[in-house]
Amino acid sequence: MKTDLMSRRSFQVHEHSLDNGLRVLLVENPSIPTISANASVLTGARYDPEDKAGLALMVSRLLDEGTDNRTSLEIAEAIESVGGAIETDGSFERIVVSVGVLKKDVELGIDLLADVLTRPSFPEDYVVKEKERTLSEIASAKDRPQVVAGWAFNELIYQQHPLHRPAHGYPETVSRLTREDLQTFHKRYFVPNNTILSIVGDFRVSEMLPRVERVFADWAPHPLAFPQYRPPVRQTSRRTKFITMPAQQLNIYLGHLGVERANPDYYALQLLDTILGGGAGFTARIPQKLRDELGLAYTTFASITMTAGIDPGRFVAFIGTSPENMTLALDGLINEIRRAANEPVTAEELHDAQEYLTGSFVFAFETSGQIARFLTHAEVYKLGFDYVEKYPEYIKRVTIEDVARAAKKYLDPENYTLVVVGPVNPNGSFVNGTSKN
Amino acid sequence: MSLLATSSTFTTEDVRKTVLDNGLVVLTKELHTSPIVTSMIWYKVGSRNEEIGHTGKSHFLEHMLFKGTDRFKKGEIDLLTLKNGGGNNAFTAHDFTAYYFNFASDRWHVALDIEADRMVNCTFESDEFEAEKKVVIEELKTSLDSPWGLLIQEADAAAYKIHPYRNPIVGWLQDVERASAAEQQVYYRKYYHPNNALLVLVGDFNTDTVLERVERIFSGIPSGPTPPAMLMNEPQQRGERRLVVRWRSKIPRIAIAYHAPRIADGDSYALQLLGVILSEGKASRLYQRMVEREQSVTFVSAEYGESMDPTLFHVRAEARGNHSIEGVEASIYDELSRIATIGVTPQELARAKHQIEAHFILSRERTLDQSILLGQIEMLDGLNYIDDYLGRIAAITAADISEVCGRYLKEDNRTVATLLSDGTETDSSEDDELED
Repeated sequence: MKTDLMSRRSFQVHEHSLDNGLRVLLVENPSIPTISANASVLTGARYDPEDKAGLALMVSRLLDEGTDNRTSLEIAEAIESVGGAIETDGSFERIVVSVGVLKKDVELGIDLLADVLTRPSFPEDYVVKEKERTLSEIASAKDRPQVVAGWAFNELIYQQHPLHRPAHGYPETVSRLTREDLQTFHKRYFVPNNTILSIVGDFRVSEMLPRVERVFADWAPHPLAFPQYRPPVRQTSRRTKFITMPAQQLNIYLGHLGVERANPDYYALQLLDTILGGGAGFTARIPQKLRDELGLAYTTFASITMTAGIDPGRFVAFIGTSPENMTLALDGLINEIRRAANEPVTAEELHDAQEYLTGSFVFAFETSGQIARFLTHAEVYKLGFDYVEKYPEYIKRVTIEDVARAAKKYLDPENYTLVVVGPVNPNGSFVNGTSKN
Repeated sequence: MSLLATSSTFTTEDVRKTVLDNGLVVLTKELHTSPIVTSMIWYKVGSRNEEIGHTGKSHFLEHMLFKGTDRFKKGEIDLLTLKNGGGNNAFTAHDFTAYYFNFASDRWHVALDIEADRMVNCTFESDEFEAEKKVVIEELKTSLDSPWGLLIQEADAAAYKIHPYRNPIVGWLQDVERASAAEQQVYYRKYYHPNNALLVLVGDFNTDTVLERVERIFSGIPSGPTPPAMLMNEPQQRGERRLVVRWRSKIPRIAIAYHAPRIADGDSYALQLLGVILSEGKASRLYQRMVEREQSVTFVSAEYGESMDPTLFHVRAEARGNHSIEGVEASIYDELSRIATIGVTPQELARAKHQIEAHFILSRERTLDQSILLGQIEMLDGLNYIDDYLGRIAAITAADISEVCGRYLKEDNRTVATLLSDGTETDSSEDDELED
C-alpha cells in the first residue's frame, strides 16, 4: 500500500542530449496550466578565485539585467506583463535561471530563458549598480546575529577551501570585480555541454523538444577545464570563536566538516539527522531535550546531510537562546552529539525515522517547480530518475549498526568548531560581566 | 484587456461546505493529482481578541495545543506525525489561529482524531506551561533581534491607538511572563468550540466517506457559548504620526503605515493593485525609481494587508550607501503623489492585473496552499470573495487607482517609523579565534 503511493506520483522523464551537449529533461504535468523551466549551469562560487570571491553570484545577478537583444527593463516588462517570473540564482555549485509562466506564455518564457542564459551583455552601468547593491546587502546582513555566526562558522571549518567564504564574497573582493571578469566567467562556463535544462508542466514533449532545439541551436559548445582544489580537512582540535553583538539572544553554531552527497553512508546519516536533530515537530533528540523539555530555545536543530554536496557539507548543531542559558545549551548539544556518536539508536527510533523519511518523500514532488529541481539534482548527483521509486528502499535497508557506524565515523563530540554571536565577550564571558561559561 | 478567467482559475465550485449540528463548518475539496491530504483546523481567535494585559494569549495557546491531552500525551502529536511520515505546524495571526497536518492519503485519518481531541481536551499541566513559556519568550526575543521585527512592532503600536492590531501577535514580554496556566485554560474554553472553528480538508480522498468520518469524530463535541464580539474600532487618524526606533545598526530603515479598509471593501481591490504597481517586480514604479535610478535602497516594498477589520497599507524600504532616509522617504511620497495626480499608465494597470491573476494560479499547486486560501478567506470574509476576486480586480480602472492612492496614502493618514543607529553598532572585524 505505502509503496504504491510514490508510484502514483511517479512521472515519465524524457531525456535528450542536443548535438551541442545541452542535457534536456522534460516531464509532462498537466495538473495545472503552468510551465516551470530551470536551466542549471554547473558552476558556482566554489570555482571563484580567492581574490575575486563573489564572481559567480555577481554573474548570476546580472544575467537578467540586459542581453544582446533586450534591456533590463524590457526583460522585466516582458515577463511581468504576462504575470510570469524569471529568477536567477547562484550557489557554490550551480547558477540557475528559472522561469515560471502560464501555459499560454510558454514561447515567451523559453525565449527569455535562452536569452538571459546565453546572451547576457553585462552592461557597465548595471555592473556598477549591482556591485553597490551587493555591498549594501552584505552590510545589512551583518545586522543579523545568525548570519554573522554562520559566516564565522564556515570560515573556521573550511579554512583554505573555497567554501570558507560566503558565496557572495567579501566587500573587498566584490569591489574588485570588473565587467571583463563577468564576461570571461560567462564565456568559460556558460556552454551547453555544462548545462542541464529541466522543464516540467502542461505541455507535450512532441512540441516542447523541437522548440528547445530551435531556441538553443546556435549555442556553441567548447571543452571546459575546472579549477582544482584540495579537499577540505576535518579538524583534529577544537576551534572556538565568540563575537560580541548587542542582542537578546546568543546564536550558537557547533559542528565540524560533514560529508559529500555521494557518500555511501548518506542514507544512514539522513536517518541519524532525523533522530538527532530533524524529523517532524520536536521529535528529534535535540529539539525534544533542549526545546520541549528544558525550554531553552524556539529554534534548535542539527543536521549533517542538509549541506552535503559536491564538496563535503557541515555537521551543524544550532541553538538561539538567552545568554544565561549558554552553559546548559552547550552541554545539552554536546551530550546529545556524544550519545549519538557512542550509543546505538533504538530499534523504535530507527523504525520511526524510516517511516518518516519514506512517508514524507511524496511532499517533495507536489509542484512542477519541485519536480524540475529534482531532475537537475538527480542528474548532477547521478541518482537516476528511478530514485523516486528506489529511495524508500535505500532508507529501509539501513540497520541500527549502519547508523551507529556512520555516527561514530562522522560525528565528533570533541574536535568541533564553536561559534557564539551575541551579548558575549571575546573570551566567552557575558557582556554584563556577571557570569562566565 | 481581459483576464483569462478560464476553468483553470482557482474557484470554489468544487468546494463543498457542510455545517455539523454543533456548528462546525467543514470545507472539503477533492484533489487527486498527488496522494496527499492536507487537514487544517481554524479557530476564529487571534491577537485581535486579546485584552489589555493579556496579549499573546492566542499564540501561547497555539503552543499549548501541542503539549498534550489525556489521550495524546505530551510529544505524542509530533510522534504520530513522524511515524506516519507527515508534517505538522500551526500559526497565529491577528484574526485567527490555524493548525495543519500534511499526510500521505493512506494514513491521514489520525489528523482528525487529534484535532477533535485537542479542540476540547487540552491539559494545561503547570510544569509544561512554564517550560513552554520559556520557549515563547525565546521566540519573542528572536523577533526583537531582527531589525524589521522590531521596527514593525513599534510601527503597528503607533499606527493603532485602540484596536488590538496594535499588539504583537506573540504578545508583549511582560504579558507573556505573567501568563498563567489557569488563565490560559479559561481563554481556551472561551474560544475553542466547534461553532467557532472551521475544518478544511483538501486532497486525495472521497468526500462522502470523509464527511461521514468527520461527523462521527466531531459531532459529539458540544457547541459552546458564542465568543464575545470584539467591539473596538480604531478612530480616524487626524494627522501624521512619526517615531524613531534606536537600534544597533547603521543602516536606516523606514516603515510607513497608512490606515486602509478591511478585506472585500470596495476600495480594497484598487489598493491591492496599487501595491503591485508600486513594488511587485523589477518593472514596478518604486523599484525602477529607487533601486534602479536613484540607487537609494536595497529594497522597497508596498503592500495592502488583508484582514477582518480595517487594516494598514505598508510601504517599507532599507536605505543604502550614503543615501539619507529623508531622501528615501521623499521619493516614496513623490511617487505616490504622481499616481494620485497624474495616474498610472494602461500598461502598468494591465501588467498588475496579469501579475495578480497569474499569482492566483501559480501559487495554488500544493494542497496546503489551497487549504490556506480557503481557510483564510472563509475566516475573514466568506468563500464568495474568492469567486468574485478576479472579476473585481479586472473591473478596476486607472482612475480608481489614483482615487484610492490620493484618499488613503496621504500625510494625515500615515504613521512613519524609522530605525536609526543608537551608536552601539560594531564592525565584527576582530581576531579572537581560539584554538586549543
